[in-house]
Amino acid sequence: MHALCVRDLSLQLPNGKWLVQNLSFTVEPGQVLALMGPSGCGKSSLLSWLTGTIDAKLCASGEVWLGPRELTCLPAEKRRLGLMLQQDYLFPHMSVGDNLRFGLRGGSREERDQRVSQTLAEASLAGMENRDPATLSGGQRARVSLIRTLLSDPCALLLDEPFSGLDATLREQIRQFTWSSAKQLPVVLVTHDEADIPPQADILNLGDAS
Amino acid sequence: MSVTSRWGQRVLALCLIGLFLLPVILGLGGTLLPAVGLTPELAPGNGFARILADPRFLPALTFSVFTGIVSTVLILAMTLLTLVCVHGTRWWSWMSALMPPVLAVPHAALAIGLIFLLAPSGELVRLISPALSGWERPPQSWVVPDSVGWSLIIGLVIKETPFLLLAAVSQLSALNVSASLRIGRTLGYAPARCWSRLILPRLYPRIRLTLMIILAFNLTVVDMAILLGPGNPPTLAVLLMSLVNDPGSRAAASAGAVLLGVLVAVCFFGMMAVECVVARVAARRRQSGERGHGMKLFRRLGMGAVVMILIASMSSLLLLLIWSFTRRWRFPDALPSQWTLANWTSRGDMLLQPAMTTLGIAVTVTVLSLLAAIIWLEFERRAIVPRLDGIWFVPLLIPQVSLLFGWQAVALWAGIDGQWWSVVYTHWLYTLPYVILILAVAWRELAPQWGHAAQVLGAGYWRVLWHIRLPLLRRPLCQASAVAVAVSVAQYLPTLLMGAGRHSTLATELVTSFGGVDRRVIAALAVLQSLLPLMAFVLALIYPVWRHARVARETAPSPIRALDR
Repeated sequence: MHALCVRDLSLQLPNGKWLVQNLSFTVEPGQVLALMGPSGCGKSSLLSWLTGTIDAKLCASGEVWLGPRELTCLPAEKRRLGLMLQQDYLFPHMSVGDNLRFGLRGGSREERDQRVSQTLAEASLAGMENRDPATLSGGQRARVSLIRTLLSDPCALLLDEPFSGLDATLREQIRQFTWSSAKQLPVVLVTHDEADIPPQADILNLGDAS
Repeated sequence: MSVTSRWGQRVLALCLIGLFLLPVILGLGGTLLPAVGLTPELAPGNGFARILADPRFLPALTFSVFTGIVSTVLILAMTLLTLVCVHGTRWWSWMSALMPPVLAVPHAALAIGLIFLLAPSGELVRLISPALSGWERPPQSWVVPDSVGWSLIIGLVIKETPFLLLAAVSQLSALNVSASLRIGRTLGYAPARCWSRLILPRLYPRIRLTLMIILAFNLTVVDMAILLGPGNPPTLAVLLMSLVNDPGSRAAASAGAVLLGVLVAVCFFGMMAVECVVARVAARRRQSGERGHGMKLFRRLGMGAVVMILIASMSSLLLLLIWSFTRRWRFPDALPSQWTLANWTSRGDMLLQPAMTTLGIAVTVTVLSLLAAIIWLEFERRAIVPRLDGIWFVPLLIPQVSLLFGWQAVALWAGIDGQWWSVVYTHWLYTLPYVILILAVAWRELAPQWGHAAQVLGAGYWRVLWHIRLPLLRRPLCQASAVAVAVSVAQYLPTLLMGAGRHSTLATELVTSFGGVDRRVIAALAVLQSLLPLMAFVLALIYPVWRHARVARETAPSPIRALDR
C-alpha cells in the first residue's frame, strides 16, 4: 500500500471565489485524514477532484499521487480510489450478490461467487446474495455498499459523509465496521460530525486551510 | 366538495373515459366486422381471402416490416448512442436546444424537406455538381428514391429520434445518473460500461412504452411513406389506403387493417422476446467484472451520428424556407438565382384556407385536451378516480389505419362523416394522451401544501385551482398546449378519413398536392405547416417568462408608490 499525496491543490468556483488554495497533504496507509469545515467550503469538491469526477465548471489545479504513481491526469476508472457517499447507491436492478460481483475484479465465476459469499458472511450478512437491495435495512445497505467498494480493490478510500444518513445506533456499528475493514488503506473522511472521526485520525479544517 | 357531489364527479370522469375510448372501441369493431364479412352492405365479400390473394400484399407487408423494424432499431441505437456520448458534455445543451424544433416540425413537412435535400435534383447533389460529380443534369440513378426504403428509414430516424431522446431525458433525473456514473467509475468501470451496465438496464423499462409507440408508428405510417417510400412496393398502410378509397375493396382494406394490427402486436411480442434475451445476456456479462476501455473512438462515432442527424434535419428545414422564396433555381446551382415572394402571395388561396382550418382545429383540440386533462388530473389528485396512465396510450399503440378505417365506417353509418367536429374529436383522441402525460408529471409533483396554505386563508376550491394551482403549473400547461398544437397540425390520416375531403388542412394538402403542384408552393405549404407548431413552442417558452417578469415588475416596490403611501 502507498500513501495518498495531494500537492498544491487549488479549487476555484466559476464566480472566481477560491474554495481551496495551495493545499497539500499526505495520508499514509492505515491513517485517516478527516476533512472538516462549514458547508460549501469545498470538502466534497475536493473528493470529486481526487476521484477525477469534478464538475467541469470548477477550475482546479494541483497534483495527486498514490505512492510513485501520479493520478492527476488519469480518468476516474483508472485511479483505483474507492468512494463511499452519504447515500449507498446500491444498484436497484442488481441483487446484493450482483452488486458485490460488480465491484470484484477478475477471477473465475466460482472464485467470484465464493469471494462474495465469504465477504458477506464476514460482514454478518450471510445468505443475502439473492436479496433485492431494497429489502435491506439501512445498516445492511451501508455495509454492502462499503464491501462493494472494498472488493474493487482500491488503493485508498474516500468517504463523503457516509454515516450521516444513519441513526445513532447504526452509526456507531457502521463506523466500527468501516475502520476495521479499511485499516490497511489511506482514508480521507469528509464529515460534519466529530464523533465520526476515529481517535487516531488527523483533522484538516478546510475553512482554515483556505 | 361544494360544487358537485362525489358521485357526480365519478360519473363525469366515467363520461370522459367513455368519450375517449368510444372511437377506439367502435373503430376497432368497425374495422373487424367488414373484414369478417358481417357488414355485406358496406363491404361485400371475404376481406381476408381478397387481401391475401392480392399480389401486392406480401411485398407490402415485407417492406413495412423491414422499414418499421430497421428504423425503430436505429432510433433506439441513436438515442442510446446520443445519451452515452453526449450526455454530460458541453454539446448536450446545444443538442437540447435543437431538439424541440425538430420535434415540432410535422412529419410531412420534414419528409418534403428531406426530399429537397436527398433527391437527384436535391441540395446534396447540387453541392457536389458539377465540380465533383460532373453532372450537369440531375442523375438518373441516385440513392434516392430507392426501392429498399432507406429514404423512409432516414426520415423516420430523423423525426422520431428526438421524441425517444426527450422521453429518455425526462426519465434520467429519476435514475440519478451522475451519482451512478461516479460510483461505477470509481469502481474502475469505463464510462461506456457504466452506461451499459448501470444506467441503460434501468432506463430501458422506462422508455419501453414510448419505443412501442414509435414501433407501431413506423410500421404503419402513411404520410411519410407516401412522400419518402418508393411507391412500388408501397408500405402495407399505404396499400390499404389505396384500397379503402375503392368501395369494392373495402372488405379487403378492413381485413388488411386487422392484419396490420396483428403485425404490430406480433412485433411487440418479438420486441419483448428480444428484450428477454438481451437482458439475460447483459445480466451475465455484468458479473464478468470486465472494466472496459476508454471510449474516444466510440464517442467520436456517436457524435458523428448525432451531428449528421442534426445537420440533415436543420438543412431540410432551411431548404423548405429557401424553396418557398425561390423564383428561379436551375440545376446544378447550389442556391436560387432569383428570389420572389410570389409563392406566398399569388397562391394565397391555396395556403390561407388550409392554414386557417388547421389553426382552427388545432386551437379547439388544444383547449379541449387541456380541459379534459385538467378535469382528469384534478379527479385523480382528489382520489375520485384511480391512476390510469396505461389507458391514454391505447390509441397510440393501435395502428391509425386499423382504428380509423372502422371509425370512418361508423361515422359514415351514423352520418357524421365530413363534419368539422368529428375531425376535431378524432384529433382530440390523438392529442389528449400527450397532454395528459405531460401534465401528469407536474400535476403529481406539485406540493399540496400550496393549496392548503390558500385554503387556510379562506380560498375555496375554484379559487385555489384558478389562482394557485393553474398559475403554478403555467409552464407545463404551456408546454402541453404547444405539444397539442404540434400533434394536431401533423395529423394526416384522421383529417383525411374523417374530413371526407371537406376539411383540407395543411397536412392533407401537402401530401395530396405533392408531385402535382409546383415544388415552390409545396415548400411554402410545408413552411406554413412547420411554422404553426414552432410558433406554439416559442409562445410556450416565452409566455411563462413574460408573465413572471410582468408579475415581478408589478409587485416590485416602487419609490413613487411608497411616497403615495
